[in-house]
Amino acid sequence: MTTASEVLSSIQSAFPGAVSDARVESDRRLWATIDSNKILDVCKHLTNKLNFDHYSGSAGIDWIARNEMEVVEIMASHGAHQVVAMLKVKTPRANPSVKSLTGLYWNASWYEREIWEMLGINFEGHPELYPLLLSDPLVGVWPWRKDFKGYPDYTTGERAVAIPTPDGYTEYSFPPTQAEIEAGTVPTERPKYPTFLERETREIKSDSEMIMHLGPQHAMVPGPFLLDVLVEGERVKKAFLDIGYIHKGIEKIMENRTWLQDIVYTDRMCYVASLSNNECYCGAVEKILGLEVPERAQYIRVILEELSRIQSHLIGTGEFLTLIAGVGFAPWQYMIMDRERIISLIESVTGARLTHTFVRFGGVRNDLPDGFAEQCKKDLPYMRSRIEEFIELFAQDPIYHARMENVGSISPETGKRMGCAGPVLRATGVAYDMRKEDPILVYPDLDFKVITGTRGDSADRIDVRMREILESIHIIEQCLDRIPSGPIKTEAKIPKKVPAGEAYYRVEDPRGEMGMYVISDGGDKPYRVKVRGPFYATFQTLTPLLEGTYIADAVAIAGSMDGCPSESDR
Amino acid sequence: MGISDVIPVPVAIDEEIEKWTIFGQPVAEVWFTTTEKIHQIIQMGPIKNIFNWGRKNSVYFLMQPMGCCGVEMFVFGAAPYDSDRFGCIPRNTPRQTDVMIISGYLTRKYLPVFKNLWEQMPEPKWCIAIGECAISGGPFYDSYNIVQNTGDYFPIDVYIPGCPPRPEQFLEGLINLQEKIKQRKDLREY
Amino acid sequence: MDGLIEIITAFAAQEPGIFALIIGIIGAAVLSAVVNVGAMAVIWADRKVMSDFCNRFGPNRVGGRWGILQLGADAIKLFTKEDVIPAGVDKGVYVWAPIVASAGTMLVAAAIPFGALHIGGKDYPLVVANMDISAFYVEAALSIMSIAVFMAGYSSNNKYSILGAFRGMARMIAYEVPMGVCVISVAVMAHSLNLVEIVQSQTVWYAFAQPLGFIIFLIALVTDLGRIPFDQSEAEEEIICGYNTEYSGIRWGLLYFQEYNNFLLGSILVSLLFLGGWHGPIIPIPLLDMISPMIWLVMKVVIVIWFIILVRAALFRLRIDQVTDLGWKWMLPLSLVNLGWAVIIGSYFA
Repeated sequence: MTTASEVLSSIQSAFPGAVSDARVESDRRLWATIDSNKILDVCKHLTNKLNFDHYSGSAGIDWIARNEMEVVEIMASHGAHQVVAMLKVKTPRANPSVKSLTGLYWNASWYEREIWEMLGINFEGHPELYPLLLSDPLVGVWPWRKDFKGYPDYTTGERAVAIPTPDGYTEYSFPPTQAEIEAGTVPTERPKYPTFLERETREIKSDSEMIMHLGPQHAMVPGPFLLDVLVEGERVKKAFLDIGYIHKGIEKIMENRTWLQDIVYTDRMCYVASLSNNECYCGAVEKILGLEVPERAQYIRVILEELSRIQSHLIGTGEFLTLIAGVGFAPWQYMIMDRERIISLIESVTGARLTHTFVRFGGVRNDLPDGFAEQCKKDLPYMRSRIEEFIELFAQDPIYHARMENVGSISPETGKRMGCAGPVLRATGVAYDMRKEDPILVYPDLDFKVITGTRGDSADRIDVRMREILESIHIIEQCLDRIPSGPIKTEAKIPKKVPAGEAYYRVEDPRGEMGMYVISDGGDKPYRVKVRGPFYATFQTLTPLLEGTYIADAVAIAGSMDGCPSESDR
Repeated sequence: MGISDVIPVPVAIDEEIEKWTIFGQPVAEVWFTTTEKIHQIIQMGPIKNIFNWGRKNSVYFLMQPMGCCGVEMFVFGAAPYDSDRFGCIPRNTPRQTDVMIISGYLTRKYLPVFKNLWEQMPEPKWCIAIGECAISGGPFYDSYNIVQNTGDYFPIDVYIPGCPPRPEQFLEGLINLQEKIKQRKDLREY
Repeated sequence: MDGLIEIITAFAAQEPGIFALIIGIIGAAVLSAVVNVGAMAVIWADRKVMSDFCNRFGPNRVGGRWGILQLGADAIKLFTKEDVIPAGVDKGVYVWAPIVASAGTMLVAAAIPFGALHIGGKDYPLVVANMDISAFYVEAALSIMSIAVFMAGYSSNNKYSILGAFRGMARMIAYEVPMGVCVISVAVMAHSLNLVEIVQSQTVWYAFAQPLGFIIFLIALVTDLGRIPFDQSEAEEEIICGYNTEYSGIRWGLLYFQEYNNFLLGSILVSLLFLGGWHGPIIPIPLLDMISPMIWLVMKVVIVIWFIILVRAALFRLRIDQVTDLGWKWMLPLSLVNLGWAVIIGSYFA
């Protein structure tokens, strides 16, 4: 198995002088600062020679005290080894610009667009560097920079240009300042997201074509996002995706709250998977603090995360069923009914239906209530029989097969290249599960399989989710048998101020690999929290999948992704 | 306003009709005074109560999940909580809905779209703000992209606090709205 | 009683034109009342039975625990909604589409026998217009709804609506042919295209005499009604509400109501053509024996309606290309096979 130190020595021998300030945290984490001119070559080397075939995202950081900006490229592998390389590229703050990785990695596009609109770091060679999450007037305010003071800003008030709207309220726009234009790096006009009319005139070639909105308000969307499809008759010829309709700026807000308060915000990132979001954030902070979690707390966390996975898969599949069968379809109502049982199990522990704020640094908030294990032993076998029934129902339905089979198929290679996550990737046959790849808590002791599909189509994605529920039930039953008695919180005192440091922590969200990159500068608030969301990664693959399908298929494909726009927008 | 706004006739005929008279009055004027009178009678009498009874018991809401509350809205419309008991069913087109549920964070990017949806709904219409985010910005009160007070943009009838509120609270909000419709407290100046 | 009939016959002989007019008006009034009340019952049943399949209660707050007045509340609300005619619609067509739909269903209703009265050992069928080709006429008039759907979708100036309109048309053309062939198969066996005579000739239900034809007709009927798995023209999750996306208030209410009118009439048509109509043992109780054919017909219709609602709760929606494939490649050849079968069996027994 490749280890982090081997990776580091390989880079150092191939590119002498390119690496500065390297740190091998463990066998699985490598932190290295790379010369900004060499980053493309280093990435190529990692991908071609060392099996780093998983571009897992990038984070931008504004180091205002050091007067520089940093882009961190997160590189990992799809199962060949377990090293995560965090490659930092530095750039001066006055004129931030780094090389774009879009030429090497297909899925780098969104990450770089996000960093550009939030921090103003230019990416050289990015083909379509226009806003992703923000609306056009807000571009130029650079909200994630450390000197940003709010909207519309007090200190940069003179930069804001007020635009009264016909509806009687005021929008603000932030055009480039004179100083920025004189510096020469900023064009006088910032790139804008193409409007609908622009897109129509550019894309429509004949009278038989039209562009149709599926969203932001549409029966298909699980949360607002805009999917424009260019259709000719019933055929989708091209699709365009616009997200950010519920961008809340969670990453910025988390920088302005204390460490403990931030747990609340992780709940609201993906509201049907809030426990794994809690876990991801708390795990990262525990890593910086060097805290050990008591064994009982670890078991409680695992139980709740798996319960949360079950309810998330159930509501995701339920919503998907309404998309291909209409709201009158009875089995989706049965799924929601069954989900209520799981919800009440979770509620009996955490006291909330969706937003739990349950995990704490070094433990959990409270212990399992009396009778929880008995209730689980009643509900879980029932759940298993129900899920088996659902699997059989889908397997036997000829219309379901006609609708779903070979619809939106992804090959394993494409899935890896595009950076899909979770059940979408596993349906293609790639056994990539964080619980096995980057094991946390007591997962290494537990017996469970990684469920994979064979065709990678919509039917497989649903099937994988359904069989994952069975695995989750198996895990919970093991945990209930093994859970020891003992404390549920660590004995150590948790300081208000977290010592300076950084950590990258990955968990298996119901939607796939979720990572959080937490930086502390020794204060009582995080310096920066970067969320690498699983659906954000999967979401990008939607548009190429839709080309050449029917409209009805487009809805089925989007539904089988089990979307959570709230998490991708953050 | 001409006749062709009410009845589909070509404009030429419309102009012709404008010249017609009945009882020495222009036809169009008689038409509109008559309908006005009918409206006045409806407003006054017990007919209005019957209308409000119908409106109260048939509240279709716009399916528009926006945040955590959107998930609860989904459950609220489905089997476990069954809003259909109150005659409240989800519709997907704003043209056929009576109540807009603001079910979460309203962002600056989404606000124009949302305004558009609201304006597409036919009168009489109501608006429910669900969750802290829709009421005051909630945990995101200082975010650069969140509209803090949706009440500035939409005439909100019922506020349902919670983060997110439970589906039972949704039902309570719905019953409050029905009470409001019944008491004719929904009359607004537009 | 006899005196009254004498007066009426005398009047009919004296003024045949006025008599026909009076009878026509009374017939139309009774007919529309019967059909519309029946459709209301169907809507109520649809909501309640669907709720039952979905593990819900359904409306239970107005009109007692069965929610009988729910439809009344809906209708009052829709009547008093703002009448929105969006800018950019083809106004004339937009306004006329619901009216064409209503007229279409009434045309269907005119030729459908709603049962029979059993008086003195003889069945007197209750039909407003007892025409010779009523089976074919009814089948053709049922598809006027498709024209209304196309009008609504085309005039709405909305992309969802136009797709819904095209889908509705493609589906109608693909399934109208096998449906017609099935009606011909029935006519071949019954030696008549008159619905009353078809019912009277069914010593064996045609559902047993030609099971293939029955199945094809039922599928084609569900398609014609636009219900799942064939509701592509208004597929809520794909093209929002399809052809009626832009319709609001009472105009939408009318369109919606006509779907259920058609649902009712289509179910009656199936019962008449294939399930023996009002045939059934006469109940030997005074007065009840008179309406016992009606009771049998209503029972058959209820079973058909219940079945179509169950299909909606249990099946996925097909894609539009799969629908037309099924229509042209399977339904049409099979219906021709059924026609051959009907000819052979019919001539053997004749």
